[in-house]
Amino acid sequence: MLQSDEGKGPLELLLEESALRGTRAGERYPGCRFFGYFCSYWPEELVLAAGMEPLRLFPGPGSATPAELPSYTCSLARGTLAGALRGEYQDLAGVGFAHTCDTMQCLAGIWPETAAPGPTLMIVPPVTLRAPGAAAYFRAELQELARGLSKIGGQSAGNAELSQALELCSNIRRLAAELDELRPALPSQVIAALLRAGQVMPRREYAAALAGALTELKQMTEEAHGRQRILIAGAVLEGDSLFRLVEDLGGRVVADDTCSGYRHFAQPAGEARSDPWDELVRRYSEMPLCPCRHRSLEERPAYLAELAGSRLAQGAILVIRKYCDPHAWDAVPVAEELRSRGIRTLVLELDGAEVGGQERTRIQAFLESLSSSAGGV
Amino acid sequence: MNEQRRYLPLQSTNQLKRTMGRYYALSKYHRLWGKPLGRKLAWVTSGAPVELLRAFNIHPVYPEQYGAICSTNKATVALCQAAEGAGYSQDLCSYARSHLGSVLRPDLAPMQGLPKPDLLVACNNICGTVLKWYEALARHFNVPLLVLDTPFLPGDLTPQAKAYVLEQLKGMVSSLEQNTGRKLHEKELEKQMNQSAAITTLWRDIRRMCRARPSPLNAPDLFIQMAPIVVLRGAPEGTAYYRKLKQEVSQRVAAGQGALEQEKVRLVWDNIAVWPRLFGFFRLFSERGACFVTDTYTGGWAMEISQGDPLESLAATYTEVFLNRSPEFRARQLIELIREYNADGFVMHSNRSCKPYSLVQEVIRKKVTRETGVPGLMIEADMADPRAYAEEAVRNRVQAFLELFE
Ligand code: SF4
Ligand code: SF4
Repeated sequence: MLQSDEGKGPLELLLEESALRGTRAGERYPGCRFFGYFCSYWPEELVLAAGMEPLRLFPGPGSATPAELPSYTCSLARGTLAGALRGEYQDLAGVGFAHTCDTMQCLAGIWPETAAPGPTLMIVPPVTLRAPGAAAYFRAELQELARGLSKIGGQSAGNAELSQALELCSNIRRLAAELDELRPALPSQVIAALLRAGQVMPRREYAAALAGALTELKQMTEEAHGRQRILIAGAVLEGDSLFRLVEDLGGRVVADDTCSGYRHFAQPAGEARSDPWDELVRRYSEMPLCPCRHRSLEERPAYLAELAGSRLAQGAILVIRKYCDPHAWDAVPVAEELRSRGIRTLVLELDGAEVGGQERTRIQAFLESLSSSAGGV
Repeated sequence: MNEQRRYLPLQSTNQLKRTMGRYYALSKYHRLWGKPLGRKLAWVTSGAPVELLRAFNIHPVYPEQYGAICSTNKATVALCQAAEGAGYSQDLCSYARSHLGSVLRPDLAPMQGLPKPDLLVACNNICGTVLKWYEALARHFNVPLLVLDTPFLPGDLTPQAKAYVLEQLKGMVSSLEQNTGRKLHEKELEKQMNQSAAITTLWRDIRRMCRARPSPLNAPDLFIQMAPIVVLRGAPEGTAYYRKLKQEVSQRVAAGQGALEQEKVRLVWDNIAVWPRLFGFFRLFSERGACFVTDTYTGGWAMEISQGDPLESLAATYTEVFLNRSPEFRARQLIELIREYNADGFVMHSNRSCKPYSLVQEVIRKKVTRETGVPGLMIEADMADPRAYAEEAVRNRVQAFLELFE
């Protein structure tokens, strides 16, 4: 379906899509209607079922200060709103918000008033995902959203369409899991880029390209002797510079729990449900927690500690986007849990996804401290 | 003093001090009387369904109000630094930071901190912060945490949201029955709801008297007088206090007495107070005859308690609070206040601590001005942390704004 660039290998295509961040999606895939969204709790399946393609909106490079948001707003909200004001999302069929943090709540509220020419939809998933009544409520919210999306997409998102979309997405998630397993043996920034591509291009094309790229990648794997093994957790990262920096400084990201990284794809364990709506509820209720949701007090710290342990990570970098409350809150108990299990932890505050000289110095010192304490693996 | 001539103090304030003093003394010595009576002490968020807790004879204590107390006692910076030292970012809500600081360093805290909780009850109808804050408290104290998840309302309350909150309230009843060893008596809950309705009605009546010209109260009055409606909602002593206050305020109205000596400009306030500078800040306005006749924040406690089955009524009342609603709703609310109170302008406190309150304000400001024609001023500060307050810049902006009315 891609208009130009025939003859590109799947890996090259994915890296290109990732670098473009969806900015030229309409022109590259003229047969598709893209629907913008922000958060990993946004049910992509419903967009597909309604005949559209989900496109995650990432802020562009540089700092943005739209007048509608105060300076103490995270750069993800500021950057995307600025993009909208510049008219970057004009071709989208609409934009969807999943309620997560206070900032997203506010951005969703002001978006239709300021930026977007097209329709804006919002879904409010339960916060306490296992509370009494949460599943029934979530199901009703999803069905209401499906009606809204069907109107925009012009295709009714019924059981059959949803089942198909669920299958496509779970296929993608299986491939992403395969890719995630290759982390120890591949450059960190490549994996990060490939996962981001899966949020900004048509999903069928992505599935096909990723399957092809995996064959290529498996031939490229190389055990990373002497590199410090790192877990990275945090919110959205719209670029790969942090991953590249870790590599440059002799480390390797062996586990990733960022919103735009593997957490976006992680499929919960357990049997799929036969009813597609129940399955949709199950997926979004049981995927690894983000700090905006609650199942039990210790789940997220314990999950991250176990993830670090299973990947033999020696250190963890917890990335906090400046003014991002949920991740700043969680950094305290998560760091404590990781440290109590002998995993050194660096809490790194970043304005956006770009890292500079200051971060280089801190990460360098951090990686050195890891090799001096345990020796590289 | 100059200030005293311009500003009319309320006689009731002495009784307010006694009422609040008694509440905090009872809280402080709860371990002495609560245990023998089998009454638990809960730390609760300002938007939690306290009627249900009271029906279980639970004594509620409010860390958010305590955050304001820390601020007026000039303890916020040291307490925030204690929390920051423990890893909490300086950009998090300053109520939460100072309260966590008081848990870590009671020696630096007013009243040596709040009495320890037997349980924690958080309702996220005001923000996402409270969930994270109470999670941190639950880890620290290792006591049960009950969360009431009230879905944000982009539009009106939907049947599914109401049903979900209702289910959780039923779950909360079982948890509380287990926790306290008591059964819920429907009659007791109804009684609590009626008492809540009585106190909120009084608070609403008092506020409405400020439609008079001149207004009998100014924003600092509202902010000081709100203390009982926050912590004594449903308690008879709170109701008794507001009866007295209502009397005094109606006398003022009857006598044509205003809070300011000469009211020239009528304004509406949006957001939490700037506690560390409560009087100094509002004096910038009052010395020029500008009176804040109403506000959105203390008005949050004047909500109507929905009618009907008590649990259903709680579900609707607590999900529909204004901070849980769209900017569209909030703008409408402000527009109505401006019209109802005949205001000439409005001032928005862009409060670094409170993102859900503040991040939508600029859009609301434009909309309100567009619809009402009255100007709105935005001032950036923080409700509790004085480090975020730039005196000179604020003074200049206020001055320029008030010149619009000359
Ligand atoms: S979770 Fe953090 S980074 Fe994401 S929108 Fe909210 S504040 Fe911004
Ligand atoms: S001030 Fe705002 S962020 Fe802080 S607890 Fe209150 S509503 Fe939440």
